[in-house]
Amino acid sequence: MCGLAGIARRGPGGVSAERLERMADAIRHRGPDGAGLHADERVGLSHVRLSVIDLARGAQPMANETGTVFVVYNGEIFNHLALRGELEARGHLFRTRSDTEVLVHAYEQWGERMLERLNGQFAFAIYDRHAGCVFLARDRFGILPLYYAERDGDLYFASEVKALLASGEVERALDPEGLDEVFTFWASLPPRTPFRGIRALEPGCCARWQDGRLTIRRYYALAYPEAASESADALEALDELLHSAVRLRLQADVPVGGYLSGGIDSSIVCALAAACSPHVLRTFSVTFEDPALDESMYQQAVAAAVRSQHAVRRIGSGDIARVFPDVVRHAETPLVRTAPAPLYLLSGLVGEHGIKVVLSGEGSDEVFLGYDLFKEAIIRLLCWQRPQSRRLPQLLDGLYPDIAPAARKGEFWRRYFLAAGAPGDPLFSHLPRFLLTARIKDFYSAEFRAALGRFDPLAELRGRLPHGFGTWSPLARATYLEMTTLLSPYLLSSQGDRMAMAHGIELRVPYLDHRLFEFAAALPGRSKLRGLREKDVLRRWARGLLPPAVIGRRKQPYRAPDVPAFFDGRPPEYVEALLDPASLARTGIFNPPAVAGLVRRCREGRALGFRESQALVAILSTELWHREFLGAPVQASAALTAGVKAAAVPASVAA
Amino acid sequence: MRDPTPPLTLTAITDRTRTYIRDTFLYMRPDWPLQDDDPLFGSGVIDSIGVMELIGFLQSEFGCTVAEDEITERNLGSIGAIARFVHAKCNADGVRAA
Repeated sequence: MCGLAGIARRGPGGVSAERLERMADAIRHRGPDGAGLHADERVGLSHVRLSVIDLARGAQPMANETGTVFVVYNGEIFNHLALRGELEARGHLFRTRSDTEVLVHAYEQWGERMLERLNGQFAFAIYDRHAGCVFLARDRFGILPLYYAERDGDLYFASEVKALLASGEVERALDPEGLDEVFTFWASLPPRTPFRGIRALEPGCCARWQDGRLTIRRYYALAYPEAASESADALEALDELLHSAVRLRLQADVPVGGYLSGGIDSSIVCALAAACSPHVLRTFSVTFEDPALDESMYQQAVAAAVRSQHAVRRIGSGDIARVFPDVVRHAETPLVRTAPAPLYLLSGLVGEHGIKVVLSGEGSDEVFLGYDLFKEAIIRLLCWQRPQSRRLPQLLDGLYPDIAPAARKGEFWRRYFLAAGAPGDPLFSHLPRFLLTARIKDFYSAEFRAALGRFDPLAELRGRLPHGFGTWSPLARATYLEMTTLLSPYLLSSQGDRMAMAHGIELRVPYLDHRLFEFAAALPGRSKLRGLREKDVLRRWARGLLPPAVIGRRKQPYRAPDVPAFFDGRPPEYVEALLDPASLARTGIFNPPAVAGLVRRCREGRALGFRESQALVAILSTELWHREFLGAPVQASAALTAGVKAAAVPASVAA
Repeated sequence: MRDPTPPLTLTAITDRTRTYIRDTFLYMRPDWPLQDDDPLFGSGVIDSIGVMELIGFLQSEFGCTVAEDEITERNLGSIGAIARFVHAKCNADGVRAA
């Protein structure tokens, strides 16, 4: 993968090469193999390259034969060979073997309708000199990032926010509503970001900038046309799609490795990749010193079964706290879990082994209903439908095996789920999680509450659900919410692209091949969640492919230590400095006495539940994020209401 | 010989429980309006992990062991309910400061 950045001027002011280089430098980690730029009187494009296909000739920005269409692009078009054949048959001449060039000619041939033909993970900008327009697009599921900002008709765009800020022309300010979304959904929901005035192009959307105006259009919408029954050839179709999705994602002029968690999803991907790969597959895992989080036994079993060359990054005491500032700098957002940190360390391990591209099992839990949240939603629904049942609420006791057994049973455990909302609420499936996450807001300062006013992220989400959402099945609604509120803005971003690209590693996600998604979305819900057995169709298909212990294994949530990562022993100096009351007061987002209470509980080893662990991670990461991107405000209230203009690019960003 | 520590009254148990709950579960929201008969769970003051911590407090503070089948909203659902439960459960032996 790569990184892109650019500026389009409404007037003929030009874009300096120095400014473009500064933007590119800010995202150099995304493309350590090369850099390039193009600038004329209206538009400047810059690019940093991670060479994966046509290493010698794939440099960007890339233009057509006449120099009228330029592209900067981050990602992979997995069906580029098929598209190339089609375009060549229509008379287009190619100079390289790269998928980048396919984009140039596809735009010439089909214009914006080209997007419907792409199978891939991508974010790109095409500059059409004749039309005087810039065309931006992002893949269907938001695997790759694309941000933009507008000022006086000028457009700024980039793979990461830090490149926009490095332009020196985009305001550095926080968006209280963006932060409030993080503390509700785990991430700001595109187009909102935690930065005021900086937008994320939504997954499945494209944008056209012309004459100083930006017009955004959705070209792909999630849909769930569930069949009444599973077709007789469903497993055969799934077999073909899985093989095709993995095979396409093995295309590269460099070796492709695999992430191996020990669960069924990544194990399937690695098994298929090992069978198709021309190399001995390299697989990579994280393991934890904490046995409750460790999956190494399953990882080793799969690595042996698929005969991969396996490498492990063991996460020990102090590792997460050590890298957490870097994690936040790359994620560019406050976090509510430390879970991205081990993935940051894992991508470092991949890089140390000379691998640039890895396959991941991400997306399967959303496509094939792997999370306990889906079971929880169905049990809660049944409890509402049969309130007299004593047996149904007890089913909730079987959920979330990563929580201490004594705490996940009985009236209080059940009350947490059953009191969270009624089925008539379109957000019903996710209300327990949203309401639990929102307890972070108990730590807000009075002035931050005032800055938020009457903002209600749940009401806003309800208001932007797609037409007909209420007619979808409960599982389809739950899946849609999971994909749009967590998968795209958090899992694919903070845990996915950002942690991988921090070390110049490209992640590929076969389960988010749109053909596979569409196949699964059209299956009846019970094909995926049969009773309380998750990913049923995938398990049936995988029989014989993987060790039985892995196929029959229940979904283990991926978790990393939160409070113990920072308070198991003396906290690192930066933690103490950031949680100091005076420092918190300067930032102005959290209430210092409340945080002091939390710190006391952490030191005493009493902050054991989600509420306090998520609050600690949220507060720490917000303070890190603020310091990294906004600097310490002179007056907290000024930062909250007026933002802080950047006087200069901080060394850490411009380096 | 008489025990020098008098049994705790219902009021004393209520006061200590209220202080504990405010210090432990509402330290971040001192403005939270919590009356003695307000629900602790539906309102989100305590979650299921907090229940385990609360039971530990009842044990250490009042010497009151809570059996698994006694972990119910009827017994632990509000400050008042907790005080009545502890007072009644341990009254036979006398509830004393632990």
